[in-house]
Amino acid sequence: MKIETNHIVKKYGDKVVLDLNGQYSRLLFESGKITGIIGSNGSGKTTLMKIMAGLISAIDGEVRYDGQTFDQDIAMKITYANQRPVLFSRSIYENIAYPLRIRKYPEEEINRIVRGLLEEFEIADIQKQNAKHLSGGESQKTALARALSFSPEVVFLDEPTASIDPKSVQVIEAALKRRNADTGLTVIIITHNLAQAFRLCDRLVFLNQGECLLYDTTEKMRQAQNTTIQEFISFNAF
Amino acid sequence: MQYILDGFVEAFYLIFSFDPEIFQIVGLSLFVSLTSTLISTVIGVPLGILLGINNFRGKRTVSRFLYTFMSFPPVIIGLFTALFLARSGPLGQFRLMYTPTAMIIAQMVLVTPIIMGIVFNHASNSGYDVVQTGKTLGANRINILTLLILELKGGIMIALVTGFGRAISEVGAVMIVGGNIKGFTRVMTTFIAMNNNMGQYSVSIAMGIILMTISFLTNSILYHFSEGAKYEDRD
Repeated sequence: MKIETNHIVKKYGDKVVLDLNGQYSRLLFESGKITGIIGSNGSGKTTLMKIMAGLISAIDGEVRYDGQTFDQDIAMKITYANQRPVLFSRSIYENIAYPLRIRKYPEEEINRIVRGLLEEFEIADIQKQNAKHLSGGESQKTALARALSFSPEVVFLDEPTASIDPKSVQVIEAALKRRNADTGLTVIIITHNLAQAFRLCDRLVFLNQGECLLYDTTEKMRQAQNTTIQEFISFNAF
Repeated sequence: MQYILDGFVEAFYLIFSFDPEIFQIVGLSLFVSLTSTLISTVIGVPLGILLGINNFRGKRTVSRFLYTFMSFPPVIIGLFTALFLARSGPLGQFRLMYTPTAMIIAQMVLVTPIIMGIVFNHASNSGYDVVQTGKTLGANRINILTLLILELKGGIMIALVTGFGRAISEVGAVMIVGGNIKGFTRVMTTFIAMNNNMGQYSVSIAMGIILMTISFLTNSILYHFSEGAKYEDRD
C-alpha cells in the first residue's frame, strides 16, 4: 500500500508540533519499502506516524492510502506498535490470535499462523503465560507478532526496539526484513538508533521541530550538508 | 454478657427452625439488592467506561461529582427518593412509596455512582490504551467494546462486589422509602434495627448472622471471579 501525506499540520493547543510544508510538504511512502523516521525528541515523529496510522487527526492536510482516505477498510490493512506495547490480559497465544479472531479466521488457520509466529519470534516456550507479566523484550516480540499476525500491508513502528536486549532486537529486525522481502510489507519505523535506520531502511525522513528537513535514501542522508542533520548523525556516531 | 450468649443460642435455634417470615425477609432483601445492583450495573458500567476512556472539557468536575455521590449517606438518598415518590411529589401518581419498587429505586440511586465511579477509575487508568490498541489491530466498535469489558472485568467485578455490599447492608434508605412493613417491605437490615429497638436481641443476632453469611457468600463468589480475571492464564 502506498501512503501519501499532503501538507500535514498538527497543533496541540496553540503550539504547532508538525507542519510539513515547502519542498517536503508532500511525502510519498512507497509500497514494499522500509522507511525510517528520524529526528530529535519533540521533532514530530510520533505525531506524524499517529496521523498516518489513523490514530489522531491533523488540523490541516490529508493522508491518502492508495489514493483513498482513511476508513475501516484501510484500518483492517494497517497496524501500529510502539515502544510501550499494550498487551491484553490473556495468554501470549491469545494476544497474537486476537487480530485473527476479530477477522473471523477459521480455528485451524489461527493455530497455524500463531504457531508460526511463536517460533519466528522465539516465544513458543512461554506461549501460555499471561502477557501482562512479561519482560520488555518478550512484550515487544509478542506485540510485533500480534501486529503481523493478520499479514497487514503496512506496519507502523514507533521505536519498537528501544530499551530491549540486542538478541530481541535481532529477532525483530530479522522478522521485519523477512516480511518485507517475502510479502512486500511496507514498514514505517521511528528509531533513534541511526545504525538501525541505516541497516533496515531504504529511505529516511528527517524531522526537526515539526518540519521535514530531508526525505531521501539512506545514502543521501549520510551525505546531507544540513548542519542539524550532520549534528544528529555525529551524535549518533558516539 | 449472658444475654449476648443467650442471644447467639436463640439465634441458631431461629435459623434452623426455618421460620417462613425469616425466609420471606431474606428473599425480599436479596431480590431488592440484586435487582438494584443489576440495574445500577447496566447504567453505571457503560457510563463509567464512556467517561473514563474519553477526554473532554470538564472531566475533572464530573469525576469530583461522581466521587462525592459515591459517599452519599443512604438516609439522604432515602429522603430525596421519598420526596420524589411521595403522593405530593413529582412521581407521586405512580404510588410507589412504601413498596419494594421504591426500595429498589433508592438503592439504585445509592449504588449507581459507586459502580460508575469504580469503573470510571479503572477505565481512566487503562481504557484509553486498550481502545487505541484495539483500533491499531483493526477492531471495530463492537470489538472494542467487548475488548474493553474483558480487559476491565477485574475492575467491573470489584465495582459489583462493592455496590452489592453497599445495597444489602444499608438501612437508612430502605427504611424511609419502604417503611419496614411486615410481609411486604421488611428486609434484613430494617428487621435488625426494629428488633434491636424492641430489645429482642436474639432475633437481631440471628438475622445479623444470616446477613453476614449472605454477604460473605455473595462477595466470595464475585471476588472469586474478580481474582480469576486478575490472575487468569498466569503460570
